[in-house]
Amino acid sequence: MSAPDDRLLRKDRRAVFAAWAALTAATVLARFLTPGESRSATALGDGLVAAIAVLGLVKCRLIIRCFMEVRHAPRWLRAATDGWLAVLWAALLVGYLL
Amino acid sequence: MTDTDAAPAEEGAAEPAKPKRAGKREVWLVYWAFTVFYTALSVGICLLGRATPPPRPDVTGLQAAAWFDEHHLGIQIGFVFLLVIAGGAAISNGIIGYFMKRMSSGKALAYAYIAAMGVGAVPGFQVLLVCWLTATFRPDRSPDILYLLYDLGMLSYNGSLGCFTAAYTVLAIAVFYDRNRIFPKWFGYVTVWQIVTEIVASQMWLHHSGAFAWNGMITLYIAIVIFGLWVACLLVLLRKAAGRETGHTPALYEAEGTR
Amino acid sequence: MTAPGTTTRPRPPARERRLPGDADMWVMILGDLFFFGCYFVTYMVFRAMSAGRFTASQRHLDIDIGVTNTVVLLTSSLFAALAVLAVREGAWRRARRLLWATGACGVLFALIKAYEWHTEISRGHTIHDGFFGFYFVLTGVHLVHLALGVLVLGVAVRELRSPRGRRPTIVEQSVLFWHMVDLLWVVIFALLYLMR
Repeated sequence: MSAPDDRLLRKDRRAVFAAWAALTAATVLARFLTPGESRSATALGDGLVAAIAVLGLVKCRLIIRCFMEVRHAPRWLRAATDGWLAVLWAALLVGYLL
Repeated sequence: MTDTDAAPAEEGAAEPAKPKRAGKREVWLVYWAFTVFYTALSVGICLLGRATPPPRPDVTGLQAAAWFDEHHLGIQIGFVFLLVIAGGAAISNGIIGYFMKRMSSGKALAYAYIAAMGVGAVPGFQVLLVCWLTATFRPDRSPDILYLLYDLGMLSYNGSLGCFTAAYTVLAIAVFYDRNRIFPKWFGYVTVWQIVTEIVASQMWLHHSGAFAWNGMITLYIAIVIFGLWVACLLVLLRKAAGRETGHTPALYEAEGTR
Repeated sequence: MTAPGTTTRPRPPARERRLPGDADMWVMILGDLFFFGCYFVTYMVFRAMSAGRFTASQRHLDIDIGVTNTVVLLTSSLFAALAVLAVREGAWRRARRLLWATGACGVLFALIKAYEWHTEISRGHTIHDGFFGFYFVLTGVHLVHLALGVLVLGVAVRELRSPRGRRPTIVEQSVLFWHMVDLLWVVIFALLYLMR
């Protein structure tokens, strides 16, 4: 293995660990944002769910970009996955708020 | 067609003793039979027979009888026609089986596919035709009996999945193991979706309305889109595979006397 | 190109763009994401039609089981991603162990899910409730994908075992499929457990 390869591999490994830590933290954070009995279907509850949706979108994008290595992929694939993410989470959030 | 005409000349020069193959006209013939059959099937089932999009599952016996009365002419014309050409299902399985036998993954999978699809055609196709034709040709029977035929036809048509999942599974396995690249690997994945949607469709036995009934968004409409996509891919891929067959392509069986 | 005054040290060459895995696997993944997206939106539409009843049913789900399952699956994805890097280094043994760890996390996920299903069914939450109908179908279809994922990981382990094989692309493809299983669960978790 040549030197630049090693450097890239180390960088990739750091990125993978960082993504895992961020994903786990976001999961735990989202768990505490979940609206309780009294706050569902109130303005505060809606805000919390919007935050959960944003966290969900960020988590999905981290998995796609870091774990699936789409960050090094051709442009069409990055555009397709981002498009899917945007349309899906927008539709889900609108569906929830309706 | 073009490559079949050009091929035999060279072959004949090299091995004069070997009988010339007539080309692959029979492959094209069956391919077109497949295309025509699936088109006729769509017209008969969707436009004339009204089985897709389906009638409502949450009706009473009288409503079901009234529904048959309203659509009896379309059902009679469409389904009698489909009953006559029902053998087209066998021919359609035949061409897929033929190309599966060309794969390096083994002939047993091709036989399993043909057999599973052949058995599946009875509940998945024939029973619907027979039930609804009985209901429309015997309108004087009690609404309860007509209601049973209504349910039986729809549930058999959409809810009989075991044979189809088996057929799609062996097809997917054959595509993944094949090293002759008869079908591309992505078609194997599309076939895997078919397996999953068939399993999801089993829900319709339990629900009378909503997303999982026989007219549900998930059990029917998304499944139909995947099925349509699968057939469309198959039409293109079979056409390509048939186009690659030349006079040089070895026969599946040696001619009598050469072995 | 570079502005005047920047350091003279050459920037490391940009990494070349490449498709992870192969195009066939991406047909599978993008298609699957699309059809699962249709399922998710259908769920939200049905939820919007009777939001109160769905929310009441959602309260019966134990969020902590959901969180545990999410962390288990995220960790499995971490192992899978590390396995691909190990293959690139030529560390076959480590790659194989990481893939085994991935599969083990997958099985653990399925066991937790089975326990959860058992609890819900024994409490009388069956598919005849609007929300639980979706719960069982979405998690069930996801479990089918998880089972396929374990199978595909097995293919990758077999590939790594024989010295003649060891094609990195096979490992990449199976790991991509596994990440998709993880990705879909992250959406399902937010949808069923959190957005109540």
